[in-house]
Amino acid sequence: MPSLIERKVGIVACSGEELAEGTVARLAALKVLHETRPGKTVTICLPLFLAGGEGDRAFARFHPTITIDGCDLRCAARGTEMYSGKPTASIVISDLVAECGLGKVEGRRQLNASGKQAVDVTAQRLTEFVDEILGAPALAVLNSVVAEPKPAQARSVGCACGSGIPISKVSIDGKTVELLALPLIFQQFRKLGRGPESLDEDLLAMVKVYNQVPPEEEKSYHEAILREYAVFCQEVAK
Amino acid sequence: MSLKKQSMVVVPCSGIGKSLGTVTREAAYELCDNLRPSDMRLVALSKLVLGDAEACDLVRSSPAVTIDGCKQMCASKLVKHNGGMVALEFAVFDAFRNHKDLKPEGIADLNPEGEQLARVLAEEIAEHLDAILCSGTEQGGPHA
Repeated sequence: MPSLIERKVGIVACSGEELAEGTVARLAALKVLHETRPGKTVTICLPLFLAGGEGDRAFARFHPTITIDGCDLRCAARGTEMYSGKPTASIVISDLVAECGLGKVEGRRQLNASGKQAVDVTAQRLTEFVDEILGAPALAVLNSVVAEPKPAQARSVGCACGSGIPISKVSIDGKTVELLALPLIFQQFRKLGRGPESLDEDLLAMVKVYNQVPPEEEKSYHEAILREYAVFCQEVAK
Repeated sequence: MSLKKQSMVVVPCSGIGKSLGTVTREAAYELCDNLRPSDMRLVALSKLVLGDAEACDLVRSSPAVTIDGCKQMCASKLVKHNGGMVALEFAVFDAFRNHKDLKPEGIADLNPEGEQLARVLAEEIAEHLDAILCSGTEQGGPHA
């Protein structure tokens, strides 16, 4: 029986040093990491996407991410999307402050009262997002039973970063596309007793958590993933 | 390029996972807010991750002081990646090695030792700046 790895939500905060809102982003991320959802979240340093290795980028592609930005430059959201994958959810502090009617956030080194309020409000919103993501029905099941990746199967290749997250090459509309974590997702749907004939949009939804699927190509991806899943189930049944 | 009368930028590492990252941030604030408020401008590293035009122009036109919290040296790498010149490169773990009594703890709230380490590091950076401003030379070279 393989050991289990737990799905966690990756939090990417802009940490913008120039603005007080950057400090809010940083402190809210830390509050969730250490206080409200310890063990269920990890933080990822934004600069590591560029300065770090493929492992850092693959981590964020495999795990759902939430970005927190101080301002509408949205460095964390755009940087995550550019170097890793589209964030599952995003928060912009300046928008949230306006939405909640808080006063002007000031004090990048020592936050004023509004800044401290903004940290609490942001941490609360972030916690809700974490629960939403980890509590999504399909993902909740996945969280409980996800197994450590098995050795690469004939139809998949291991990630070069050594993370153990399998990458499968799938033919979609005549193009070869790399999809992350496909065998893991297939294993879990199989464990849930979901045969190829009983699948609706759930499988595609799960694949989209870990991979970017262009909206205009969703139908093609869906068909290809169902086809791959049917092959997977046949091979397992042998 | 002479550094006389030239403003400089400081780029701390943004590290969010360790106390050392917080020390880099505090040292940068100490430098910009208290020690060299008229000469130093802080540049957010997240902007360099994105290649923000204004931030990239700043690091290309002004020598940079980078302060890193771990061996990945993100601040230094990203300044160079964006075509900037690192005039002075600092790592908090080197500062800690020289001041073992100042062990930083806490990330959101640094302990007093961590705050003191940040101040000491900022003062050392200011001294280095004074030295190279006096000599009018830069220590690093332009990135290829």
